[in-house]
Amino acid sequence: MEDKLSFLKYFKLWWMMTFMVSQNAFVSRFGAVLFVFGKLIRFSFFLFFLLIIASRTNAIVGYTIWQIILFYLTFNIIDSLAQFFLREVYRFRNYVVSGDFDYFLTKPVPALFRLLFGGSDILDIPILLLSSVFIYVALSHIGPLTILNILIYLGLLINGFVIMLSFHILVLSIGVITTEVDNTLWLFRDITQMGRFPIDIYQNPLRSFITFIIPVGVMVTFPAKAAMGLLSFSSVLISVGIGAAFLYLSIMFWRFSLKKYSSASS
Amino acid sequence: MKKYYIIARNTWDEVFTYRASFVMWRVRNIIQLISIYFLWSVILPPGKTLLGYSQSLMLTYILGTSLLDSIVLSSRTYIVGEEINNGNLMNFLLRPINYFAYWFAKDAGDKLMNICFSAVELTLIFLVLRPPFFLQTNIFYIFFFICSVILSLFNYFFLNFLLGLIGFWSPEVWAPRFIFITVLGFFAGSLFPLDILPQAIYNIMKFLPFFYLLYFPLKVYLGQLSFLEITSGLLISSFWAFGIYFLVNIIWKKGLKSYTAYGR
Repeated sequence: MEDKLSFLKYFKLWWMMTFMVSQNAFVSRFGAVLFVFGKLIRFSFFLFFLLIIASRTNAIVGYTIWQIILFYLTFNIIDSLAQFFLREVYRFRNYVVSGDFDYFLTKPVPALFRLLFGGSDILDIPILLLSSVFIYVALSHIGPLTILNILIYLGLLINGFVIMLSFHILVLSIGVITTEVDNTLWLFRDITQMGRFPIDIYQNPLRSFITFIIPVGVMVTFPAKAAMGLLSFSSVLISVGIGAAFLYLSIMFWRFSLKKYSSASS
Repeated sequence: MKKYYIIARNTWDEVFTYRASFVMWRVRNIIQLISIYFLWSVILPPGKTLLGYSQSLMLTYILGTSLLDSIVLSSRTYIVGEEINNGNLMNFLLRPINYFAYWFAKDAGDKLMNICFSAVELTLIFLVLRPPFFLQTNIFYIFFFICSVILSLFNYFFLNFLLGLIGFWSPEVWAPRFIFITVLGFFAGSLFPLDILPQAIYNIMKFLPFFYLLYFPLKVYLGQLSFLEITSGLLISSFWAFGIYFLVNIIWKKGLKSYTAYGR
């Protein structure tokens, strides 16, 4: 019962913070519309690029066009979910440099929750909806799919988001220690963008690096492969293990970074 | 002239003040390049061709766009809109300095630095991946390649400047730039050579400035265009460079009339 209340409390907090941030986002409606439009263009252009390649070649590393599209859509939905929920991380450097981070530490809300979920970006909602619709279309074109495969796909999507969350926690922790946030975050995003294509296209040791060290493959390629029935049960378990390990390590690192925090800017 | 040289040199100092940021940014460039490089390596295995592109031509194209990207598409003029918005432009209007030349000098410094680092990165990529590479030896193509790159530098500089001038009338300077970057990323040809697009779209693209930023110079370098195509391409590119230059001048003058130095 207490857990349920606690969840509701956090949900309400998230809702309030998101509402306030959204009001900010719509101060310039023209700008908001342009940003949404830009995101939709980016999404459509890349999809168009994949279709062009497919029209010129029969398959890429043995995958059909709809399978390749599913890899991209899976990347896109996990990336958009992270951008939607974790947008506050992009503002973190300013909080550390200005000393506002101290203010969050003194509040009765866990600082990590505030910094991760302190205001979702509602401008990402259209792209999230569009990605979901396209995933449905791609899955229906791929062929006969079992309910189990779909459930594993959804489970591994959540696992992918957990890994994304863990990396954002790592970025915050590095930010606490070094005040460096933006570049680390963008570097991480560029590495995850390698997951727009199945990781099979990359050669070793790069492939191993993006499978186990920065597990882009586990985040993006594995869920899509699970939907296609190409992922073994042991790989599913390993994926979940990697997700849990990354979350645990990132929280440990966050606690370590807080101990090192000198509050120099306040 | 000396003051513009100092401005260009100062750009180096600025970049080296934030060394970590610069290194991270370069690493990001390498990651983006590797991603596209591997994609085209598997699409075009050795011995296979796609619309006239062998693997060596395609990989030369992809690596070439990376180098050209650092020369042509590196620009500091994205700050112009912000400077207008926060009133900093006034500082320049009061000084004996040409605002366009100031930004051009900054860009020159920035581009020189990018060329140096890009060359080192590409050398490393060549040593590690040993890609098949097409080396152009025909002086005719090399000459026209250089001409087309110079034109694309001016095209991109004025296009970027033009976007910044939105700041005279609106505080919303980032959203239009976001759309511009998105369109540019696709239609400049850094992801793929534009001639793999459907013919109808390709024919329209030929008349847009994006076409002449990366794709056209690279096609000239690869020796895949006839003399007629090269000269008509250079003419269209020149038309855009002068056209956008005149447009920037007109809008700049109009903007200055409505400028109130708000924010200072």
